[in-house]
Amino acid sequence: MKTPSEDHDLIRWLDGEMTDAERARFSTRLAADPDLKAEVEMMQRMSSDLRAHLPAEMTVPYGDFFNSQIQVRLAQEEPLIPEARASWLDWLRLPTLITATAAVAIAGFMIMQKGPAAGDSVVLSIYVPNASVHARTFHSDEAQATVLMLDGVEAIPADRKIVGYYIERTETDQEVATTTLYGKSGEVVLVVSKDVRNQPRLLSATPRG
Amino acid sequence: MPASTAPEPGEVSDSDLVKRCQAGDTRAFDVLVSRYRGKVYAMTYHMIQNETEAWDLSQEAFIKAWRAMPNFKLDSAFYTWLYRITHNVTYDWLRKKKMHGDGEFDDSRTEHRVAAGAEAVPRNEPAPDIALKNAELGKRINDAIAKLSPEHKQVILLREVEGLAYEEIAQTIPCSLGTVMSRLFYARKKLQEMLKDAYENAL
Repeated sequence: MKTPSEDHDLIRWLDGEMTDAERARFSTRLAADPDLKAEVEMMQRMSSDLRAHLPAEMTVPYGDFFNSQIQVRLAQEEPLIPEARASWLDWLRLPTLITATAAVAIAGFMIMQKGPAAGDSVVLSIYVPNASVHARTFHSDEAQATVLMLDGVEAIPADRKIVGYYIERTETDQEVATTTLYGKSGEVVLVVSKDVRNQPRLLSATPRG
Repeated sequence: MPASTAPEPGEVSDSDLVKRCQAGDTRAFDVLVSRYRGKVYAMTYHMIQNETEAWDLSQEAFIKAWRAMPNFKLDSAFYTWLYRITHNVTYDWLRKKKMHGDGEFDDSRTEHRVAAGAEAVPRNEPAPDIALKNAELGKRINDAIAKLSPEHKQVILLREVEGLAYEEIAQTIPCSLGTVMSRLFYARKKLQEMLKDAYENAL
């Protein structure tokens, strides 16, 4: 009867886990023991058949669906890198939101100087966070409208809501360095300030109905 | 070390894809899924021998890998790491099945194991009589593997299919080297008993 260590020797020899010296000793034993030799040969043959009949790689049924299902589940997962608190500027960096961004930025710096008679608007400055996007405005006296034109923006999904704000007046509080923009009925539409890089930062916005 | 599917020349390396995944890039993860799904699926399939459940468990393994991605320090090959996750997912599933007395020795699992679209990676086709004998032996081997305990099944697949060294098997399970050797020995003895007549009849 073999001892446990002899059993281990047998499989270590089969699996190539012996040192050269151990291997030489075991080979000597093998030559002197026909039963051991027969067992080793049987196990070698079995190992070879196992490897032949159990492929290490198989075709995944419906492979494309396999991948797409994983993507669907990843979309439902929490982000890998938790965002501490997405600042408004981080949000602004989303390419598909550039249009809305520019519109908001313009709203933040556009004073609708609605004089009692004229009703014209004057764009004081435009901020576009993506340098590859060029923004221009065009004002039509006849239509009493200001048109925002953006070049270099990616295609915007059809279901994306682009909103604009009508700003009646603004108030700037020098102490807390914020500007509040009011709508037609005197409601607060946006409260903006500037960050350390002198770029607009949205503090609050009234949801539009 | 499990045999990995090395990227072709010009393909993005695993480590670069991992870094992109760690930055939240799900498209990079999709590339890794395509690269390794065949190996992950084969591993789970051999362990549980059920196509549908192997498919689901492979999905689970990839999702767990995605969740664990921020903690992966690239101190081993991506596939080795993914392989351990897959192994743990599958082994946990087998243990739960065993606890519920469900299916480990269910022969029906092996009856319809090759379904449409699930064929193994093609090999050179042998002559018809040899192919028949191979198919019979293949069925006998799969049946015998299915009848092993999860622990024995685990070590035999890690060694014979994945080609892991004893040290790597011990790290993957995890257990001692002595346990690896004992389990491998008894797994082989059991397979030998179950396949004895197949070899005696010179299949």
